[in-house]
Amino acid sequence: MNELKILLANDQNRFRPSETLKGVAGWRLPAAPRSADVRLFWYTRGKGTEDVGVINRFAFEQPQAEEGRPFQFVLPEEPYSFSGRLVSLIWALELVVEPGSQTTRVEFTLSPTGEEILLHADAQAHARSR
Amino acid sequence: MHARDNPFSTARLQHIRYRFQGGSWDGFLEDLKQRRYRGAIIGPEGTGKTTLLEDLEPRLRDLGFTPVRLRLTQEAPRFSPVMQQMIDSRVSDRHILLFDGSEQMGWLAWKRFLWRLGEIGGLIITRHRAGRLPTVLRCTTSPDLLGGIARELLEGNADLTQKQVHDLFRRHRGNLRDALRDLYDRFALGRMTLRQETRPDRLAP
Repeated sequence: MNELKILLANDQNRFRPSETLKGVAGWRLPAAPRSADVRLFWYTRGKGTEDVGVINRFAFEQPQAEEGRPFQFVLPEEPYSFSGRLVSLIWALELVVEPGSQTTRVEFTLSPTGEEILLHADAQAHARSR
Repeated sequence: MHARDNPFSTARLQHIRYRFQGGSWDGFLEDLKQRRYRGAIIGPEGTGKTTLLEDLEPRLRDLGFTPVRLRLTQEAPRFSPVMQQMIDSRVSDRHILLFDGSEQMGWLAWKRFLWRLGEIGGLIITRHRAGRLPTVLRCTTSPDLLGGIARELLEGNADLTQKQVHDLFRRHRGNLRDALRDLYDRFALGRMTLRQETRPDRLAP
């Protein structure tokens, strides 16, 4: 069975600008993949057209059928993770394995506080109540 | 509700594909073949014409054709020079043009477009009203279709009554795109909510 996984170091999923994000990408496949890489990107989600920005890519050399490889990225200064009623900006890492374009994804937040910035009052109240 | 958790976000709406109202893909493809892949898909806004064209593209490719998507809108009512050059010089009898928004072209521009086409494998256009090419499919909607799509997006995590569906359908005059955007707003503004036990991030992306 094909299995892809991304684990973030210390289970950390809140980051500040310029911080180093470390993790391990793992896969278990019937045969060695042609390529395997982790992509650092943000995307928007909401009512309008979606936007996406791929910031960096970490390619694993000569990937084997089953292994776990460490990776790390120095995170950029911006954009910050935020959520409003109309649009959210979400940071994520995606492991992409070829052939077959198999993927898995983990999301994290990037902001000066490490928390997602909430743009409307009831969202802030909702966050406080959690 | 955060935009990221809204069950009616654009990303989730894009997973909803065209649903025939009393027809099928096999029947539609056979009709197109008999008409030598020439015809018009007609229907008012928000009835699925563009989605149908998107879904038609891979099926034509499976039949050995090379589909070419063309799109004109009110904001961009003319082809770019690059697109025009491609239409003039690159299309052959293996190409089928899928032309969304053909009503943006005036009568004279349409005649010029046809005259410049030469030998092509097919031309399928979308329009709000019949004309230009024989109608191959009339896109329609219904409250049942709207209710089915909305409930699929909600994944059982909120109630949507038949009355609410009918009211939405009537308010937007059968325009499902607008009706689903209306539902987005209702969730965004908290007028409708997911069940408390629902983790919105557990909704399929």
